[in-house]
Amino acid sequence: MRRDRPAPRLRVDWPACAGRGLCHELLPEVIGLDEWGYPVVSGEVTPELLADAREAVRSCPTLALRMVR
Amino acid sequence: MSRILVREGIRLLAGYDEGAGLTEHRARFGELPDLDRDHLLALARAAALRGRGGAGFPFATKLEAVAGKRRVVLVVNLAEGEPASSKDAVLGLGRPHLVLDGAVLVARALRVREIHLAIGTEAPLVAEAVARAISERPERMRFVIHEADDRFVAGQARAVLELMSGRPNLPVTAWAPEVFDGHRGRPTLLSNAETWAQLAVRALPGSAGLPETTLLTWDGERQPVVIEAREGAAWREVLPPGDEPLVVGGYHGSWVERTTLEALPLLREEMAAAGVPLGAGAAIPLAHGECPVTMTARIIDYLAAQSAGRCGPCRNGLPALARALAGLRDGADEVERLRELAGMVVGRGACAHPDGTVRLVRSLLEVFPDEVDAHRAGRCARISDRAGV
Repeated sequence: MRRDRPAPRLRVDWPACAGRGLCHELLPEVIGLDEWGYPVVSGEVTPELLADAREAVRSCPTLALRMVR
Repeated sequence: MSRILVREGIRLLAGYDEGAGLTEHRARFGELPDLDRDHLLALARAAALRGRGGAGFPFATKLEAVAGKRRVVLVVNLAEGEPASSKDAVLGLGRPHLVLDGAVLVARALRVREIHLAIGTEAPLVAEAVARAISERPERMRFVIHEADDRFVAGQARAVLELMSGRPNLPVTAWAPEVFDGHRGRPTLLSNAETWAQLAVRALPGSAGLPETTLLTWDGERQPVVIEAREGAAWREVLPPGDEPLVVGGYHGSWVERTTLEALPLLREEMAAAGVPLGAGAAIPLAHGECPVTMTARIIDYLAAQSAGRCGPCRNGLPALARALAGLRDGADEVERLRELAGMVVGRGACAHPDGTVRLVRSLLEVFPDEVDAHRAGRCARISDRAGV
């Protein structure tokens, strides 16, 4: 499928991430947690999930989550 | 650092023992030409030079990215975090002017007046040799030396930029390549010492027409040997005698049987395609009295301890990998756990430390299934083999 813009992806700033897990709670469709509580980003941010993804980015207590294109 | 043996070279290391001074250097390599930006770009494109720090990124692509920009920062990375590699130390000690020539060539073409150099504190002799060479340079150029920590990840590009900015010498997340957003947000061309030296020999008249080469380190048990090999040579012509399997690429490298390696040419692309990336060019033969499992466990222990401890998956995952591998070494069936941890760690850090660590673990499982099975069954085939029992 061709798009005008690539789908947004979530990237973790690993040194900043403290594994609080808020992103997983807000966006479980895309973000799981590993056995130590750090986010595992899988799958893309579909248009339906965009609002939740933005909320997850905003809510990260260490500002460790970013949406990149 | 144990004394490094340098085998007589072909191009960069030809006449290595004749001296590292500027006079000897000019006598052998000739005067450095003054190239403008277009000629430099043409030279870099024609050379198809790939970075020699480990990642193998095309140098011309980096150069093109910074070429038209203002306030470009140039960085020579002599901080060799990889303990199995000694080639950059050899260049710093015996060929400092070749490394500096490469950087000066680019600085002149891009009208940059300052060259930064990162050198590991574990190599004071290298720092001394480079400082001596700098004092001999005739051009109006400011050289700034930054002392990198003695730590595996300290030589990583972003860690070097952190050091230059006065912050801890540790990797941070790169949101954009350093050619776009590098030192203090400026376009930054950071390359490994050998890459700069390789660029210089392509411009210097004294080494024109000589074959293209790559520097390797044979990290055997006695002392490291640095070898300059012709690109495309057969590995069997290059390696010291032996039949042990080896790790190629350094501690972040891959296991390979000697016979498999000897069937490959010394070419970066073909080695990567064969699953044996050349990395920083270090080859570590299986140590006497060890088997691939015990040696990998030893290296992974070290790599786990070298984690900067800043990224959660690396801080937790590398020690967990080391524990699982120690378990396997001692006869526990940890293979599934190793695979699970490898998948959990890879790609989840600010630098390639977790990825490189996983590469070595996965190559052990892939290249030595029999040895791994012997370990999980509580007996080690290779040790008994090799002891002739």
